[in-house]
Amino acid sequence: MEYAYVNARIKAMKSRLLDRSFLEQLINKPDIDSLIAELEKTTYREELDKAGVLYTGIHRIEVAIRKDLVKTFRTVLNLIRGGETESYLTIILNRWDVQNIKTILRGKKIQENPSEILECLIPAGELDEAALTELVKQPDVKAVIDLLATWGIIYSRPLTLNFKEFSETGDLLVLEYALDTFYYQDAISRLKSGESDDARILKNILVTEIDINNIKTVLRSIRDRIDIEEAKRYFVKGSPDFDIERLTSMMKAGTIDGALKQLEHTPYQFITTIPQEYIVAEKISAFEKELERYLVKKAVSLFIGDPLSIAIPIAYIWAKYTEVTNIRVIARCKIIEVPEKELREALISV
Amino acid sequence: MVDFGIPIGAGIAFGLGALGTGIAQSRIGAAGAGTIAEKPEMFGLMIILVAIPETLVILGFVVASMIMIMLV
Repeated sequence: MEYAYVNARIKAMKSRLLDRSFLEQLINKPDIDSLIAELEKTTYREELDKAGVLYTGIHRIEVAIRKDLVKTFRTVLNLIRGGETESYLTIILNRWDVQNIKTILRGKKIQENPSEILECLIPAGELDEAALTELVKQPDVKAVIDLLATWGIIYSRPLTLNFKEFSETGDLLVLEYALDTFYYQDAISRLKSGESDDARILKNILVTEIDINNIKTVLRSIRDRIDIEEAKRYFVKGSPDFDIERLTSMMKAGTIDGALKQLEHTPYQFITTIPQEYIVAEKISAFEKELERYLVKKAVSLFIGDPLSIAIPIAYIWAKYTEVTNIRVIARCKIIEVPEKELREALISV
Repeated sequence: MVDFGIPIGAGIAFGLGALGTGIAQSRIGAAGAGTIAEKPEMFGLMIILVAIPETLVILGFVVASMIMIMLV
């Protein structure tokens, strides 16, 4: 793979990402219209113009930034077409397939309008807009899984295997966790065959993500007083430092405080510094946010890694996703008039 | 008897310099093309950056010339 051309191009694309001072300007805008006017000065202008034909206000921003995100990811993928690198990058982009399938399943479970579901999807993975449109047209969860199986999409496997349990319990979490577990296991097994630096970099990020998800599961399970054996089902094999034994030991602590104590002297000990009131009130969202920030920071810091490796495309994908998330947060906070302090807390700074 | 060592030495000095320049320019050229594709305004800077490794082959040429001059 000739990284010199691709990574120089991606770094040039990175220079067009919105910096902190521009986000500050967006935060200081009084309403959605002035926010749109400010965004029209950026690379989002083209998509904002297109979206402006059909939508107004926050919907215009939502549609435009989503389309821009998909377009950007497609550009990155087209730059590295062919070979091992493409398959590695596809692993990252498959995250959006999993996310889209989960959104469709959720929408179908509550019998949401297909157009409403479609608006929440990000067709950045292998399932393109046409495929997703067809999926949202299905009448129920079973029909969605059947269609995925007909198309030979690998994610139909965990869904089909766990559908019986879902139909008995009605708990969508069963399918969602099965999908997540399958995604991570499939990704790690695809990376095992390659011992290159690229595979190592990607595996490092994926394992961190798995560990963070496992820690979140532990904290949620403790809060919801879920049985240890039940919680164990939802753990995914991540790094050796956070194997099932260690996670079980965190669960056995029985309290959030006890579980956090076991994170000392690990890369995640920063969440032990979260104010005591969150621990007492068992506000898991504060911990989840910090863990997500850590993951984003770790992924984006790959920009200063090997300039001739997959580190640069991975860092860019995360940086772009973070930017889009931040714009969405700002736009939504403007609509419901969230105080500035809370808005700033909700942003992911990198 | 003709001493072939000196011209061979001059050839090596020039040849390795040229090889080094080629390797460096291929990488810089590829990265430069990528950058210009996204930011055409960087064209001038890229030309300078691509030209910098030329110093290697120029130095090689100077060394080779000096060797040859010493031969005479």
